[in-house]
Amino acid sequence: MVASKTVDLVRLSWRILHMALTAVWAHRLRSCFVILGVALGIASLTIIVAAVDGAERKAYEIVDSFGPDAVFILGGDIRNRAVGQRTNTLSYADAEVLRQSLPGAYRVVPMRAQHNLPVRFENNKMQVSAIVGATAGYADVWNWPLSEGRDFSEEDIQRGAKVCLIGDTPANELFGDRSPVGRTIYIEKLPVQVIGRLSYRGFSGGGGSIDERIILPITTLTQRFNLDRKYFRALRVKFTSTENMDFHVENLTSLLRKQHNLAEGQPDDFSILTADEILGFLSMFKGGLLLFLGITAAVAIVVGGFVLANLFYLSVDERKSEIGLKKALGAKNSAILLQVLAEAVILTLIGSLFGMAIGMGMAQLLERLGILEILFSWKVFTYSTLSSVAIGILFGLRPARKAAAMVPIEVLKG
Amino acid sequence: MSHHPVIHLEDICKTFSLAGQPVEVLKGISLQIDPGEFIALLGTSGSGKSTLMHILGLLDRPTTGRYNLAGQDVSQLPDERLSELRNSMVGFIFQSFYLIPYVSARENVMLPGLYSSTPGRVLKARAEELLTLVGLADRMDFKPGQLSGGQQQRVAIARALVNDPQVLLADEPTGQLDSKTSGEILDLLSDIHRQGRTVILVTHDLATANYAGRKIFLDDGRIKNS
Ligand SMILES: Nc1ncnc2c1ncn2[C@@H]1O[C@H](COP(=O)(O)OP(=O)(O)OP(=O)(O)O)[C@@H](O)[C@H]1O
Ligand SMILES: [Mg+2]
Repeated sequence: MVASKTVDLVRLSWRILHMALTAVWAHRLRSCFVILGVALGIASLTIIVAAVDGAERKAYEIVDSFGPDAVFILGGDIRNRAVGQRTNTLSYADAEVLRQSLPGAYRVVPMRAQHNLPVRFENNKMQVSAIVGATAGYADVWNWPLSEGRDFSEEDIQRGAKVCLIGDTPANELFGDRSPVGRTIYIEKLPVQVIGRLSYRGFSGGGGSIDERIILPITTLTQRFNLDRKYFRALRVKFTSTENMDFHVENLTSLLRKQHNLAEGQPDDFSILTADEILGFLSMFKGGLLLFLGITAAVAIVVGGFVLANLFYLSVDERKSEIGLKKALGAKNSAILLQVLAEAVILTLIGSLFGMAIGMGMAQLLERLGILEILFSWKVFTYSTLSSVAIGILFGLRPARKAAAMVPIEVLKG
Repeated sequence: MSHHPVIHLEDICKTFSLAGQPVEVLKGISLQIDPGEFIALLGTSGSGKSTLMHILGLLDRPTTGRYNLAGQDVSQLPDERLSELRNSMVGFIFQSFYLIPYVSARENVMLPGLYSSTPGRVLKARAEELLTLVGLADRMDFKPGQLSGGQQQRVAIARALVNDPQVLLADEPTGQLDSKTSGEILDLLSDIHRQGRTVILVTHDLATANYAGRKIFLDDGRIKNS
């Protein structure tokens, strides 16, 4: 008895679905408008989810490459820069002091760089945006594994050896499929031997690809490219553990203040950035993005919903003799309600597929134009599908109830 | 069992309210119809034929009175049950056919069966058998718009029979057809009646009524003795 009831119910649902599909196909114009309305809403939702995920991934990538166990020291106070304040305040002497007397620090790396130098290998030439100076163990300091070759040794640094690590972009551009390791390239007129290749990292760090770089021993860079030998722009300090970062930062601050002879009440002439701060900044950015795009998507989806509701209202009115007939022939109110809802949900689901396609296309375009960082995941699919079903039910409900409430003898006249 | 009337009305009244004023349309109808009868319901326009037909077909409820359909008191049944009974007990034929325009003749005939528990294959076979019976074997895949008025009414008749109902209700089924086509449709209804079904035919045309075995005259909401 129960079993046959279930069979009947499944059969009826199946038949209602079939009728809904037939009706959707028969009223193609209406269907197209509903699909379009919903697709636009879902497209914006898709872009938003992909962009927010992309921003989040980027945040974590940045923090990852930065290292949660590291801080970044910049010359000058970037938060409230006093007028006329010097920015080249970090010296080798500072680095040496930190290296020797900062508890918990196991690497102190001065950072120097040259920008946009011509690089040549045989007949291939390119401008490389960053020629970076480094100390021994670059890969370890920057959490950036080598894909082949070896890292700098202490000896390379001391000697000012003419060796380099090559980033993925110049490696591809200059060497194509060949291995760069062991070859000699020219940076301006300086011949240097490639000893290692950095693995592909592939996200942009604000202007230019992060993979477009060549790393030289810092000594080689300062000697050969005429850089100031006393000061440098930034300093990176890596600690042995991620615990007590606040304590480390405090120590670091007081050590540097003492080193720079700053009196009580005088502002810092340097800035310390931690991974937490970067994350905080990025999540603020993400929050803003989410709010802006979220409102856009909500509006677009509600507009799609209203398009659906209105067209269905009209359609139910137009088809009232069909609905009245079905009720006269024994369709229950629930069967009519379900059919209209099924029609709505079929259309919103198709709309969501189109919307996802449009959204992904647009998102990819935005990414190519460098406006957004995009990440597609199942989340996009899940959100789009769920919200399209929700739109269908929510906005289809009133027309569906109107249809279900029709009285056969009132709509079947004559 | 066999001598129970299939339809038994006792003192049926129907009052509509029109702009706050009650309008008494049926004024105490009592009626018995036996299984297998062919009834013609006659009367002038506005006499209440359609109203009575709607009550007989469970599309409307009487204001007062009792209605027994196949031995069951249906006056107090909930809407859901009435839907089920309409689906299984009653076949409707309307003056303006009421076919779904965007599906084929076959699918139109199957429609009442879709709301029953008849398996799909059985239903389809039955629809095709009925379309053959009404002379449309070669028109099963046609849409209503591709059929003449008479052919559309034949589809509607096949549809009315698909759930094998005991009672067939036809409200002026030939009202939109020419006399030759009307004759064919009425012959078809006579055939269906001869196969043992109860047929109730509403008309205001006496020649049409002559196809029936018994005539019931309605005058201003009352049955007039002939
Ligand atoms: N929903 C309603 N509200 C108010 N009055 C109604 C309603 N339905 C029918 N009536 C009235 O009931 C009376 C009988 O109507 P009905 O349709 O039953 O007549 P009929 O005998 O079928 O006429 P016809 O031959 O023209 O079809 C008419 O006066 C009509 O105006
Ligand atoms: Mg009438």
